[in-house]
Amino acid sequence: MHMPAEQAFWCLVQICEKYLPGYYSEKLEAIQLDGEILFSLLPRVSPPAYKHLSKQKIDPILYMTEWFMCAFSRTLPWSSVLRVWDMFFCEGVKIIFRVGLVLLKYTLGSSEKLRSCQGQYETMEQLRALNPKIMQEAFLVQEVIELPVTERHIEREHLIQLKKWKETHGELQCKCPPRFHGAKAIRDSEPYPHGALEPSPSIILPPGATLSPKGRKSKPRKGAPKGPVTAGHQANGPLPEENGSLLEPDSSPLHRSKESLSSQESEDTYL
Amino acid sequence: MEAIWLYQFRLIVIGDSTVGKSCLIRRFTEGRFAQVSDPTVGVDFFSRLVEIEPGKRIKLQIWDTAGQERFRSITRAYYRNSVGGLLLFDITNRRSFQNVHEWLEETKAHVQPYQIVFVLVGHKCDLDTQRQVTRHEAEKLALAYDMKYIETSARDAINVEKAFTDLTRDIYELVKRGEISIQEGWEGVKSGFVPNVVHSSEEVVKSDRRCLC
Repeated sequence: MHMPAEQAFWCLVQICEKYLPGYYSEKLEAIQLDGEILFSLLPRVSPPAYKHLSKQKIDPILYMTEWFMCAFSRTLPWSSVLRVWDMFFCEGVKIIFRVGLVLLKYTLGSSEKLRSCQGQYETMEQLRALNPKIMQEAFLVQEVIELPVTERHIEREHLIQLKKWKETHGELQCKCPPRFHGAKAIRDSEPYPHGALEPSPSIILPPGATLSPKGRKSKPRKGAPKGPVTAGHQANGPLPEENGSLLEPDSSPLHRSKESLSSQESEDTYL
Repeated sequence: MEAIWLYQFRLIVIGDSTVGKSCLIRRFTEGRFAQVSDPTVGVDFFSRLVEIEPGKRIKLQIWDTAGQERFRSITRAYYRNSVGGLLLFDITNRRSFQNVHEWLEETKAHVQPYQIVFVLVGHKCDLDTQRQVTRHEAEKLALAYDMKYIETSARDAINVEKAFTDLTRDIYELVKRGEISIQEGWEGVKSGFVPNVVHSSEEVVKSDRRCLC
């Protein structure tokens, strides 16, 4: 991605620990559970696609494993990956669900489209070779923004599917920590105020370089939500910097995201 | 629609990660070799028609699986619906050969009540100078498990066709002899005589699934 190796590493840590906990664990239970959640959300987005996949008994893990585990980085064209990842860092796993639902809707969502996938294999082929038009950045992002699937829907389905899972598979073997829906949720969950920590830059500035009065040092250029390990890099300001930097790579003092983050405490942060 | 086929066999390709499962399948289905191949995530699918006798075509549906241990919980669900399997190891990687037992145990536990016809494949045979597993010991192991053994190279296209077509022929013989039969609710073998799945809201398209013989 467009960030130095160290920041990219910490982003990866945050993805594994906060955004998608359990995805990369031994039994892949979290992925399978999310497959069930995705499928249960499908009827509200595209009844024909849901009916078709149910009829053909296509297990969600057959098509969504790579989508979700790689957060679409292997599926979408690069320009779309960047947009989706920006939204994902900001908003959390909801974005991944929405992208998946949009792709299913536009691949299997009409009887005309279903004509060419009468068998299970043909359907899988369609989902493997997605139409480039539906993955195109402008179209996809617009659809994802407009899709009425919220964190609350996902959490509700999560509880339902978890209950079903326990009935059929027993207790989850992976005791993974709760999932955070986006940068704000992660930040809010941290037990200490960000300003209280001393900056401890791990990237050495060249001699003569001066720091801004706000003490912004090894700032992430992109939406790198910070965990405890990197919290020391955070500026003292009260602003949710990770989101500010997401929108403003060079982080001018104007944090455009401030309003949207603070004004809306509802179930969705931005969308 | 596809050309007409007599049967459809579902094959599964298993073995340790990095032994070359995806590359072998790609060579067989796409006729090319990718120098760089990303690890498979979950399962992947390929298909190809094979003519085993003049006018008799079999459609192979080939399921590629992730070799990494963590994917086992996902991939093992697909052994059941396969009639044949290629069990790969890398001739330059002793460990992948030692794990062949484990793979067989794993499949045995999850395939019941059906059976899978396996062929043992020693892959990357173009790297003979780095060989860590002799042909002799591989053949011995294959014999012990009543499998055939073949050495292949996806890079140099050695025995790739043969590995798949020999397995297909063996399965075809078993089907002809009635030792393997088409069963409702089992995807391993499908007949090409009737459309196997028809979408209810669509018209039934029968015309291109007739038998040729």
